[in-house]
Amino acid sequence: MLNSIAFAQTALLYLGYVLIFPGFLFCFVVGLLLTGIDRKVVARMQRRVGPPVLQPFYDFFKLCGKETIVPDAASRTVFLLAPLVGLASLVVLQLFIPVFKFSVFGSLGEVADLIVILYLLLIPAVAVMLGGASTGSPYAGVGLSREMVTVLAVELPLVLVLLSVARVVGRETGRALVFSLNTIVSFQTVSGSLITRVSMIPAALAMLMIIPGETGSHPFDAAEAETEICEGLLAEYSGAPLAVFKLSHAVKLLTMTSLFVALFLGGLGTPIAQLVAAVGLSGELAAAVTMLLQVLALVLLCIVLTVLTISFVHAVTARLRIEQLFKYYWTVVTALALISLVLAWYGY
Amino acid sequence: MNWLSYQHFPIYAIMVLFLGAFLVVLLGKNRVVRAALALLSVSASLALLVALVPRVMLGGEIIAYWMGGRGMSGGYAMGIALEVDALSLFFALLVAVAVFVACLYSIQYMEHDDNVSQYYTLFLLLAGGVLGLVLSGDLFNMFVMVEILTFAAVALTAFRNTVTGALEAAFKYLVVGSIGSVCILAGTIMLYAQTHTLSLAQLSLLLPGNLNNATKLAFALLFVGFGTKAFLVPFHPLAADAHGAAPAPISVLISGVLTKSGIYGIIRLVYFLFQNMDLGAIRFLLVVVGSLSMFVCVTMALAQHDFKRLLAFHSISQIGYVLTAVGLATTLGVSSGLYHAMNHTIFKGLLFLAAGAVLHETGTTDLNQLGGLAKRMPRTTALFLIGAASISGIPPFNGFASKWLIYQAAYQKAVESGHIGYLLVTIVALVTSTLTLASFIKVSQSVFFGRLPERFEKVKEAPFGMRLAMGVFALLCVATGLLPQAVVKTLTLPAAQAVENVGRYIAAALGTEMPAIRTVTAVEIGVWNPINWLLLLGVSLLSVTLVALLGKYDRVSENEGAVRAGGKYDLFFGGEKSVHSQVGGGDLFWGFKHNWRHYFSFMHDLHSGVVNDYALWAALALALAIVFSQIVL
Amino acid sequence: MILMNYICAFFLMALGLYTVVTKHNLLKTVIGLSIMDYGVNLLIVSVGFHPGGTAPIFSFTELHPESFFVDPIPQALTLTSIVISACVTAMSLALVMKIYEQYGTMDTREVRRLRG
Repeated sequence: MLNSIAFAQTALLYLGYVLIFPGFLFCFVVGLLLTGIDRKVVARMQRRVGPPVLQPFYDFFKLCGKETIVPDAASRTVFLLAPLVGLASLVVLQLFIPVFKFSVFGSLGEVADLIVILYLLLIPAVAVMLGGASTGSPYAGVGLSREMVTVLAVELPLVLVLLSVARVVGRETGRALVFSLNTIVSFQTVSGSLITRVSMIPAALAMLMIIPGETGSHPFDAAEAETEICEGLLAEYSGAPLAVFKLSHAVKLLTMTSLFVALFLGGLGTPIAQLVAAVGLSGELAAAVTMLLQVLALVLLCIVLTVLTISFVHAVTARLRIEQLFKYYWTVVTALALISLVLAWYGY
Repeated sequence: MNWLSYQHFPIYAIMVLFLGAFLVVLLGKNRVVRAALALLSVSASLALLVALVPRVMLGGEIIAYWMGGRGMSGGYAMGIALEVDALSLFFALLVAVAVFVACLYSIQYMEHDDNVSQYYTLFLLLAGGVLGLVLSGDLFNMFVMVEILTFAAVALTAFRNTVTGALEAAFKYLVVGSIGSVCILAGTIMLYAQTHTLSLAQLSLLLPGNLNNATKLAFALLFVGFGTKAFLVPFHPLAADAHGAAPAPISVLISGVLTKSGIYGIIRLVYFLFQNMDLGAIRFLLVVVGSLSMFVCVTMALAQHDFKRLLAFHSISQIGYVLTAVGLATTLGVSSGLYHAMNHTIFKGLLFLAAGAVLHETGTTDLNQLGGLAKRMPRTTALFLIGAASISGIPPFNGFASKWLIYQAAYQKAVESGHIGYLLVTIVALVTSTLTLASFIKVSQSVFFGRLPERFEKVKEAPFGMRLAMGVFALLCVATGLLPQAVVKTLTLPAAQAVENVGRYIAAALGTEMPAIRTVTAVEIGVWNPINWLLLLGVSLLSVTLVALLGKYDRVSENEGAVRAGGKYDLFFGGEKSVHSQVGGGDLFWGFKHNWRHYFSFMHDLHSGVVNDYALWAALALALAIVFSQIVL
Repeated sequence: MILMNYICAFFLMALGLYTVVTKHNLLKTVIGLSIMDYGVNLLIVSVGFHPGGTAPIFSFTELHPESFFVDPIPQALTLTSIVISACVTAMSLALVMKIYEQYGTMDTREVRRLRG
């Protein structure tokens, strides 16, 4: 009896995690907020007034009310299922990224580590590609080609970044290699953020360059390129499925920026905890306040990173052609990540 | 020994296949009879092998079976032996499962061909050959089985001799395959000349530490010989030709079973006969050949525009993963390599069968001609997507589970040995996986999605029997992906343990005292819990779907036939005339290929298709191997 | 004398390989393969040969420790190997015939529809 109550409690807790924090509700609000801020900042930099910050929310609900047209040529199941799978997998992915010290899987054992996250990140991309391809639109065909090449381009530097992080944390904790994201973050809360290490600075830079590529924003948005291929993969989408795709895109902003925070800025949660302790709070109240402040800090950091890596870059660059994009990632960014890996390898 | 006792099971498992091969020819006039006979013999073989699992896999027992009861005499192994340890049984199970499913598929797939009874004969010969190879405890016997399977595979490649290139592929395969067989025979005989025995166990006892130039030469010959059977680089063009031309179930056998027999031979060679994996140079050899196969073949696959040829190149790429992992010489490496070998058999089988279904229904496998089949063949599409996700390493399918172990093993090895080469291998493995994904996205776009050409408007779904066979593989893909711990514990770790307990393998055959089992553990550094992930995804997906259904998500507007062409249900063409405008499969990843254009054009020129060139590559590989073995061993 | 056998065996194998690599006629390729097989067969019988040994045919009563005979195992192996190479040759000749019917040529440089 007691067992089943405990089980029910755990189940309810995890339902809460999935649905509210750091799952759907959190992703929905913060993701769309990041998009809104991005649009506003870009507009201001281009001396436009720009849409209100809440515009993505309005867009989302407006789109949900629109008619969903399934083209004759499309395969209906894939067409409708792809957006949902993409969004669901992204939200689950968000659960694996700890908010400073807080992790959903603290007690139950971790579910996925760095390398798994690398591959889980592919699922939303695959979902978009298959969904777009299922329509048979030639624009989607071109979009698919570019999207896949973008993924290929980004993958190599991302792999290198993750491997060098695993190596650095592994060496400093005396365990050769650490792939567990929880361990990486809790290591940073004790011995300071990774970005303060010399060997990690190039990797952090590379990761900053990866964020716009992975989220497909300017100048790496050849796959969507509204002006030439009509949003490519999304060309035939309308109504609620399109809204879901837009939402996934927004959530991906959150995922990538919070992944950056977890990998390189994980130590920033410690001062907050110290501050709360210094004020004199203790017990559960202190934990709750710390948690709240840390979540706020995370959101702030995500906003800063979004503005830094996406809005600023967006405002000052023009779109790259797909082969230029590929070349950029496999030369400049890869070189940066490689420097980091070699430095980490030789113990700096 | 009672004739029903389990020691006899391995030889029965081989015999039923060869017996079936004969009977099919004798009684195969009727199509029900021949299908029943073939199915009966493959399922009997499978059942006999499964019956051995508790003893051999879990109990660690090694069955040494001497034909005709003639075993040791005067300290020398004189008889012909079957020796079944966990490693052999592991590969035998792979073979039996793949053969069973391929046979199931053949029933409807081969319906419209003539000479089907000969087809089944060759099919069963091939199956029996591979099974005999992996269960054999005798080097010469292995050679005989290699010849039987090569012969059957060549004949089956040319079976549909009106298909473009079938004869040509068979001939090339025969030529280079024969060079490989001659290498194996010459190597076998050089070992016999030095040790006067052919028993694997006794060779494993006599050879290590007693090498001379002749045995070193034998190593090189055997390595190259088994390398040709596994189609490692530089023998990969043959695989591409042979798979492309053979009927789909045969492609399953060639990629899922025949290549594994080569890998099995190499494992026996380096871990048992010569026991030289502690030499850095041999690890280097395996890892470099593996990584080369991995990378070269995946890039070759990206440039293909034929469905089956593309799959063929991917086979070798995946075999590269297996060899690399095995070459790491750690328990985790061997175990993950075997795990990947198993997964490769399953998912590549599924993909080849899907390609076969497409060929069966449309009559072509040209990526530039196909398109949009998802609407006409939805079930095949779903099954294909499972296979594609598996091979591209998308969680939670099986390809990811094993690749993820391989990455860990490689990176762990890199850190432990401090050798930066292994780091490079890890990176190559990770990037290869993404390139694999790219080429399967290409297949999805060019075959199942994208635009449906008019000539395929009338295409029907594949028949039930074929879907059933694919379903079995798909189920296995999911099951082995979701339960990695269970698979490792019951299948791959015992096999890896057998690899590390060579002493027991020797003792079991020679009848000396068995050393105690050295238990091994594979230390994993990563975390991946697919069941929990799936639960979370399920909850997440369910809630999204619920919300979506509460909204108007499923009340989509579809064309009920009332709206004529030119309406809102047509595709958007931006005002251009809506001609058929599929992006050709060959050009799909232009952005990638443009940057690598020199590499691709070089590779294209290199794979000239002239059999002399391939023979030259084989000769060069042989020469290199001989020089290498003389220097480092 | 035995050394000569070994040299010949490896020479034959190398010759066969050379033929396969350099000759552009399908039939000559098949001949090259056969030569390689012959080389290996010669190697096998040479391995089992003891100068002065008799044929290894005895009944159990005749067998005693002093009897000196050539190793019977390689001879059995040679027989097997010869049978196999005959099969392979037959198969390759059949393929060559069919290829000639389809392609109308015996030149390997023109039998290359599968490439790249």
